[in-house]
Amino acid sequence: MSATRVATFARQERRFALALFLPALVVLLVTTTAPLVYLAWNSAMRIDLSMPWLSGFAGASNYVNMGGDPRFWNSLRLTLVYTVSTVVLQVTLGLALALLVLRIPHGQAALRVAAILPIVLAPVVVGLFWRTLVLSPDVGLVDVVTRALGLGSHNWLGDPQLALISVIAIHTWQWTPFAFLVMLASLSSLPPDVFEAARIDRANAWQRFIHITLPLIRPAIVIVVIMRTMIALSAFAAIFAATGGGPGTATEILNLYAYRTSFSEFNLGYGAALAMVLLAITLGVSFAMFRVRRGR
Amino acid sequence: MRGIVKRHGTFTALSGIDLDIEPGEFFALLGPSGSGKTTTLRILAGLEPLDEGRVLLDGEDVTAREPGARDVAMVFQSYALYPHMSVFDNIAFPLRMIATPKDEVERAVRDAAAKVHIDHLFSRRPGQLSGGQQQRCALARAIVRKPKLFLLDEPLSNLDAKLRLETRVELRKLQRALGVTTVYVTHDQEEAMTIADRLAVFMEGKIVQTGAPQDIFSRPASTVVAGFIGSPPMNLMPAEVREGVLRVAGVDLPVHRRLGAQGAVTLGVRPAALRIAPSGLPARVYLIENLGDTAIVDLDVGGQVIKLRTEQARELREGDAVHLTFAPESMHVFDRDDGLRREI
Amino acid sequence: MKRGQARFSRSGRAEKGARLDFRVRKMIGENRAWPVFTKEGTARIRTLLLVAIAAVLLAVWAFPILWALLTSFKTERDVLAYPPTVIFTPTLSNYRDVIFGSASLLPNLVSSVIIAGVSTALTLLFSIPAAYALARLDLPAKRASGFYVLATQMLPPVGLIIPYYLVLQKVGGLDTYSGLILIYLTFSLPFAIWLMVSYFEDIPREMEEAALLDRAGRLRALWYVILPQVRGGIAVTTIFVFLNAWNEFLFAVVLGGNRVRPVTVAMFNFISVEQTLWAKLAAGAMLAMAPVILLGLLAQRHIVKGLTVGAVKGGGRT
Repeated sequence: MSATRVATFARQERRFALALFLPALVVLLVTTTAPLVYLAWNSAMRIDLSMPWLSGFAGASNYVNMGGDPRFWNSLRLTLVYTVSTVVLQVTLGLALALLVLRIPHGQAALRVAAILPIVLAPVVVGLFWRTLVLSPDVGLVDVVTRALGLGSHNWLGDPQLALISVIAIHTWQWTPFAFLVMLASLSSLPPDVFEAARIDRANAWQRFIHITLPLIRPAIVIVVIMRTMIALSAFAAIFAATGGGPGTATEILNLYAYRTSFSEFNLGYGAALAMVLLAITLGVSFAMFRVRRGR
Repeated sequence: MRGIVKRHGTFTALSGIDLDIEPGEFFALLGPSGSGKTTTLRILAGLEPLDEGRVLLDGEDVTAREPGARDVAMVFQSYALYPHMSVFDNIAFPLRMIATPKDEVERAVRDAAAKVHIDHLFSRRPGQLSGGQQQRCALARAIVRKPKLFLLDEPLSNLDAKLRLETRVELRKLQRALGVTTVYVTHDQEEAMTIADRLAVFMEGKIVQTGAPQDIFSRPASTVVAGFIGSPPMNLMPAEVREGVLRVAGVDLPVHRRLGAQGAVTLGVRPAALRIAPSGLPARVYLIENLGDTAIVDLDVGGQVIKLRTEQARELREGDAVHLTFAPESMHVFDRDDGLRREI
Repeated sequence: MKRGQARFSRSGRAEKGARLDFRVRKMIGENRAWPVFTKEGTARIRTLLLVAIAAVLLAVWAFPILWALLTSFKTERDVLAYPPTVIFTPTLSNYRDVIFGSASLLPNLVSSVIIAGVSTALTLLFSIPAAYALARLDLPAKRASGFYVLATQMLPPVGLIIPYYLVLQKVGGLDTYSGLILIYLTFSLPFAIWLMVSYFEDIPREMEEAALLDRAGRLRALWYVILPQVRGGIAVTTIFVFLNAWNEFLFAVVLGGNRVRPVTVAMFNFISVEQTLWAKLAAGAMLAMAPVILLGLLAQRHIVKGLTVGAVKGGGRT
C-alpha cells in the first residue's frame, strides 16, 4: 500500500524530468531524425532539379550506380587519406608540441593565445586565407619561402597532387592547436610522484614516456582521435573555400562529392544516396571507436 | 518506523527495521559502514524510497510525503552548504522558501546563528569558512525553522580529533536547549555512547540492539554487539560450562556461583575487568600499547588474543607469562551457536 | 678487470689507445676542457633549442593571421608585389570599402549577429533543462536518451542539407531567418547538452537534497541552488555555441540566399572568376572574424577549459 504512494513522489520526479527534456527532444527529432528519414527516402528517388521531368522513384538504382562510379570510389579513397592523415598529424604534432611546451613554463601563455586563434576562426575563412595569402603561386607565403629556398614556385592548389597535400595541411594547421591544448591539459594534470618513482626505478626519459606518460594520457588521446575523426569526415568549408573539390576531383572527399552532385549538378537523389553512405560510414566509425574506448 | 525494508536490486540494504524514537530524545544510529544506518536516516528524511514498511511522525504516516513536506531538517556529512550564497543567505534559505516575511527571516537567522556562535560571519561564503564553521553554519540552517525532527549524518567525521570532542559537547548542549528530537548517525561507538540518550546498533541491515548506552554497554544482547562496543571491545573466548564449573582455555575457573548455563558458550570479559593475578588463566604478554596513564596489553591466551586494560603495565614486559582473573560480576555469557546473551 | 689493463697486455698500439681513451674520459668527467657537455651546459642548450622550436611553431600559427592583418592595410598593388613588402604606406581604403562601400559587409554582419545570437539563445533555453534532466533526474529511458543525443552529434551536415533544402524549398523557407536558425539548432543542441551534462554532474548530489529538505521543490532547487553553481559552465557553453554558429558555412550557403547571408558566405563576394580582391578580402575577413577573435582572446581561459572539460573528462556518455 505504501509502495504505491511512494511511487507518486517518484513519478513526480519523472514527470518533471520529462518536462525538462521533452522540448529539446522534440527539436532534435524534428531537425535531425525526420530529415534523415526523408534523406533515406530521397536516396531511393531520382530528383533532378535541372531536368524535373526525369524525377521519380528509382529504388536502389542510385546505390547500384554508385558501385560503378569511379568518382565515388575516388572520393572514398580521398576521404580515407584525408581523415587518417589529418588525425595522425594533429595528434602527433599536438602531443609533441605539448611535451615541448611543458618544459618552457614561461612561453605557455603566449602559445596558448596563438593556439586559440586558429581554432576560433571560421573554417571557410581559413580556407580562403590559405587559398589567397598562403598558397597562391608567386605571392603566397609558402611560395615566397620556397622561391627563397630555391625550390621554385608551384601551383599548390592547382596541381592535383599538391592540392590534396595542401588541403591536408590547411586542416592540420587549423586543428592541431586543439589537440595541443587538450594534450597540454592532460599532461599538466599528471601527478609528478609517478614519474619520480619511475626515475628511482631507473627508467630513462624515453622509457618513462612510453610506459608511464602515454598510458596515463591515453583517455585524452582517444577523445581527441574520436572528435577529430568525426570532424575530418564531415569537413567541408575549408576545402570548399580552398579548392572547391578540385582541381577536377583531386580533393573531392565524399561529402564534397555529395554536395556538388546535389547543388552544382542538381542531382539530388544521387546526392542523397551519397550522403547516406557517408552517414553510414560516420556512424560505423564512431560506434567502432566508442566500442574500442569502452573495451579498454 | 515500522518494518522498513529497502532493496537495491538483489542486495537487501535494510531487512525489517523497527524503531521507536521518543520526542525530545537524542537517538543515535550506530554501526559500521554499510550497516544501513545512513540509509535508515535518509528514509526518515524522505530522500530514499523504501520497498516495504511505514514511517510515522507524531502518529501521522509520512511514508509517501516528500522531504520538504515532513518538517524535518538534516545536516549532511559534507554539510551541503550552498557555495554561491553567503552564510546569511544559506541560513535564510529554508525560511525564504516558505515565504517568511523579511523581518522575521532576519530575526530567526540571527537567532539561529547566535546559538551556534557564527553570527559574526554573515557575509562570508562557505568556501571562506573553516571546517568547524561550515558545520555550524549547516547546523544553523537546520535549526532556523524549528523542525519537528533533526537528522544528523556523521556530522563530526570531517573534523579533526580535538574539534570533534569539543563539538560533541556543544551539540549535546544545543539539543538539550532546543529540546528537538534528534536522530544521529555515526560509526564511532565512543561518540554514540557519550552523546546519545538511547541508541540502536545496526549490523548488516538489521538492528541488533536498542537501548540506553549504559544498558548496551553493561548488557550487550549478542556477541556481535559486545564485540563492537567499547574501546577496546569486549574479549570473547570460547568456553564450556559443565556442572557449574566454567572451563576456559584449558583451565577450570572457580566461580562463586552456580552457573545456570550448560554446554559450549562464549565467554565475554571487558578488557578493563581483567586483572593480573597469581593464578587464573595462563597468558603470555606479546604487545604493550602505552597510552600514557593506562596501557592496553595484548596477551596470548591459549592461542587467542586477549586485550587487557590496566594502569599497572610498568611491571610487564613482552614475553612475560602471567595469569588473568576477573570478577564473576563482570562476566558475560553468550550462546556459542547464535551469539545471543544468556542469563546466568 | 679494467679496460685499460686488458689493452695494455695486447700490443703497443693498443696501449696508446687505452691511455688516450682514459685521458679523454677523465677530461669529460672532470668538466675541464669540454664545458658544453657539462650538465648545466647541455641543459642550457636544450632549453635554447626548445625555445627556438617553440618560436618557430608560434610563428607558423600566428603568422598567417598577422599576415592577413597586414595585407588588409595594403593597396591591391602592394599586395601583389614581390618580394612581399613589409614596409608600405598603410591605407584604410579597404576597410572603408568593406564597411561603407557598395559591397558593404554591414548587412552581413547584422545577419550573422541575428542568426548566431538567436540560435544561441534558443539552444541555451532548450539544452540546459534537458541536460539537467539527463544528468540528475530520473528520466525515463535515460540511457537511450543519452545515446540519442550523442548520436545526433555524429551526423554529417551534408546528410541534413539535402532533405532540408527540399523541404524548405517546398514551404518557401529558403532564404529566411527562421529556417536557418532552426537548422542551426541541429548541431548546437546536442553539443550544448553534452557540455552542460558534465557541468551538472560536477555538483554534489547533496545540493538538491538539502534544497528539497529546505522546502524548495525541484524547480526552485534547480533555479536557486543548482544553476548558480554552473554559471561557469553556462558561460563556456554560450561561447562555444555562439562561435560555432557564427562560423557556420555549409548550412548558410545552401539554405540562405540573397537576403539571409551571414559574413561567412559574404566572404566570397571578393572572389570571382576574373579577379581576387586580395586586400579587400583580407579586410573583409578581418572584419568578419573580429567578433570571434575578440571573444577568443577575452574568454581564453573559458575556451581552454571548455575544450579540455569536454575532451579530457569522460566525453561521450556511452
